[in-house]
Amino acid sequence: MITTEDEYALIDKILAGDRQAYAVLVDKYKNYAFTIALKILERRPEAEEAAQDAFVKAFHHMRSFNRQAKFSTWLYRIVFNTAISYKRKKRPVFQSIENSIVEYSEHADQKMERDDKQLFVAKAMNCLNEADRLSIQLFYLQEFSLDEVAEILGQNLNTIKVRVHRARQRLADELTKILKQEALTL
Amino acid sequence: MKMVSQEMEDQLLRYLDGELNATESKVIERKIMMSSDVSTRLEELRLVRSFLMNRARVEAPSKNFTQKVMNDLDVLPARSTASFRNGLLILIGSILVSVIALVLLSAGVFDSTTTQFVVGSPLKNNWFAFPSLRIPFNGKMFVNGIVFLNLALAFVLLDRTVLKPLFQKRTFFEY
Repeated sequence: MITTEDEYALIDKILAGDRQAYAVLVDKYKNYAFTIALKILERRPEAEEAAQDAFVKAFHHMRSFNRQAKFSTWLYRIVFNTAISYKRKKRPVFQSIENSIVEYSEHADQKMERDDKQLFVAKAMNCLNEADRLSIQLFYLQEFSLDEVAEILGQNLNTIKVRVHRARQRLADELTKILKQEALTL
Repeated sequence: MKMVSQEMEDQLLRYLDGELNATESKVIERKIMMSSDVSTRLEELRLVRSFLMNRARVEAPSKNFTQKVMNDLDVLPARSTASFRNGLLILIGSILVSVIALVLLSAGVFDSTTTQFVVGSPLKNNWFAFPSLRIPFNGKMFVNGIVFLNLALAFVLLDRTVLKPLFQKRTFFEY
């Protein structure tokens, strides 16, 4: 477990030229950094590339970290901005049906039911705007407080509170609507 | 159409998040018991909450992630050829040229540079005479055009090499 003081000591070492010390920070934060990038980009290869790029940027701009916020929040904000710029550059990827792998599973029914529920949520999630969707996803990751979500997304705390609140209500409305439609088609 | 008020929805969300104190919780629980609309809405919000909680898992990148980052540390981020310094120099030069041109214009240096270019017929024959083409040239207008283009270039340079990198840096790395 690395404390904030240990982290600052590591940052001092990195600034003094000890590059290997950065590997400790990368190891510590790579999962959340990758998860944030994945929530934005929705594709693992791109998310991984964006997260790596963000770590490299953070290393080269380590002197900009003023230690007023947590290092993790500063880093995740860089990841967020990098992933957003990747998303702006991204073109839709066409995947041929011939190259898709179809798997057989003995628990296909259970899996289908679970996938159905996930699909409904995903459908309802698509009705939210990007900022609301990301706010709610980061909030439910449990790692982040509302303050941190606000700092990562570069928005006001009250705005994020309202976003998370309203997004859940909207999601409930959309989900109910979708489930009602599904029930009617059965 | 919503069956419960916005205020009640806010209370239900706070109840689900465990933000209400004991007294507030008791009040909301009584309302849930008394109204089927409120209890239905609570169930819907609870469903959303549980779905979101289930989806909220932390993903792990590939095993060699850290190694890749460490290898890439030496690779400097790609820089555009129009660096901050170069951009600033071209910007100053461009503004200087525009100022000089404007001073010369206001001094009337280009007032007498009006002429006409005559383009003769490309074919010469004895049967038909093609009319020659006359293109008027106004030196003052020409310099005005150059000044306009120079200023447009200066604005683009200001945006690309000074303002954009500055704001990008502030957005990315500073609070």
